[in-house]
Amino acid sequence: MTPSTPTAGNWRRILGSLALAVLLEQLPWSGWALAVRPDFVLVVMLFWALHQPARISFAAAFFLGLLADFQDGAVFGQHAVAYVIGVYMVLYLRLRLLQFDPFRQAAQMAPILLGVQLVVLLIGWLAVNPPTGLDILIPALSSIVLWYLIALFVRLWHGKGAQDRA
Amino acid sequence: MAMPGQLMFARRLGPTARLAIWLLIGLSCVIVDVRYHALDGLRSGFSLLLQPVREAVRAPVNVAVELTGFFTRHRLLQKERDALLVERAQLMLDVDRAAELARENAELRALLQLRTRPGQKVVHAALLYQGHDWFAQHLTLDVGSGAGLRVGLPVIDADGLAGQVTRVYPGSSEVTLVSSANQLTPVFVERTGQRGLAAGSGHGQMELRYMPSHTDLRPGDRLLTSGIDRVYPAGIPVATISRVSRSQSSPYLRVDCLPLAGLDRSRGVLVLIAEPQVTKP
Repeated sequence: MTPSTPTAGNWRRILGSLALAVLLEQLPWSGWALAVRPDFVLVVMLFWALHQPARISFAAAFFLGLLADFQDGAVFGQHAVAYVIGVYMVLYLRLRLLQFDPFRQAAQMAPILLGVQLVVLLIGWLAVNPPTGLDILIPALSSIVLWYLIALFVRLWHGKGAQDRA
Repeated sequence: MAMPGQLMFARRLGPTARLAIWLLIGLSCVIVDVRYHALDGLRSGFSLLLQPVREAVRAPVNVAVELTGFFTRHRLLQKERDALLVERAQLMLDVDRAAELARENAELRALLQLRTRPGQKVVHAALLYQGHDWFAQHLTLDVGSGAGLRVGLPVIDADGLAGQVTRVYPGSSEVTLVSSANQLTPVFVERTGQRGLAAGSGHGQMELRYMPSHTDLRPGDRLLTSGIDRVYPAGIPVATISRVSRSQSSPYLRVDCLPLAGLDRSRGVLVLIAEPQVTKP
């Protein structure tokens, strides 16, 4: 285990934030709120994959993906595969992503989050039914906003200010 | 990605190899679930794990809804009560007539030695959670196999048919909505008696399929379950026709319908439990 920074992310914080994300998804969402609901679990999981890759990576992504599949009554493996691919992309771009301030980081996360949604779409298409529309891409947008808010919050929390100092 | 404190040449799999392994596991999960339906045990496990969480999370939300609605609803409730009293008086008349009809019907059925209609026992269920799957619309209910639910039972709410139970867990169950893509419901048109097949088209809508272009259909016609499938009892309202259009390229009408049940509004539903029927040759 590598203590990269003394304050960031111990196990309690990681599991606490993931549990909170799962709880948020358990709320009885309905109507338009359900349509624009960001994928809390995915965003939190990718956040920890970015900052603590030794602790949260493929296995956690797979398990959380199975949980999301159960949650939505989808085919088992649909979200699991998508989340695993998302983690891979984050690990691939990790050093690059860590250089940016929250706004640019969120912009860099956009293709990753969109890619994850597209994988969900593709697997659902192949395994169950052709999709009835492109509503499936809306959560990607709200997830990007959520990523920005979380990244901004963490940066302010650690007292670095909203703008990149570089 | 060598960091201080980490071995630079650590013997562990690279991210690409690990991605490949997990992808293999994930895709085999998909195949095993879709082709062989072998993961129902895992689903039951997750449901046992998450059911208490869902119940617990629902409580504060309900309290908040109650609190915000309390003051605005008082006046509304008074109005509604007056309206309900009038409606009750009218319904009492209908009840008398219905009791008379039921008695007569029972006698006639006895004369003809027919079975009684399926769907006599009713289980009330509260809606726990609306699924967020884009390929099939689901609801999660707070009753399961403990209350006698089975896969295939019809689910209704106050306004009409809501869907069909498709997965049953010990303490909860999943309902596929009538508006879910490719969910078929045998119906007949109330006004003309024409039988047909209503299919969900996603987006909370339905369509009436395979209606020849000379069929007498008008916007506003109600569709009721026809009961010939032995799944849904006959005569449950399903949808109203919202638009009828002809197409040059197809021999059939394009009939759009709106489901009557409050698929995204209703919070409580009824599950009709019918005894399994054995057809005798």
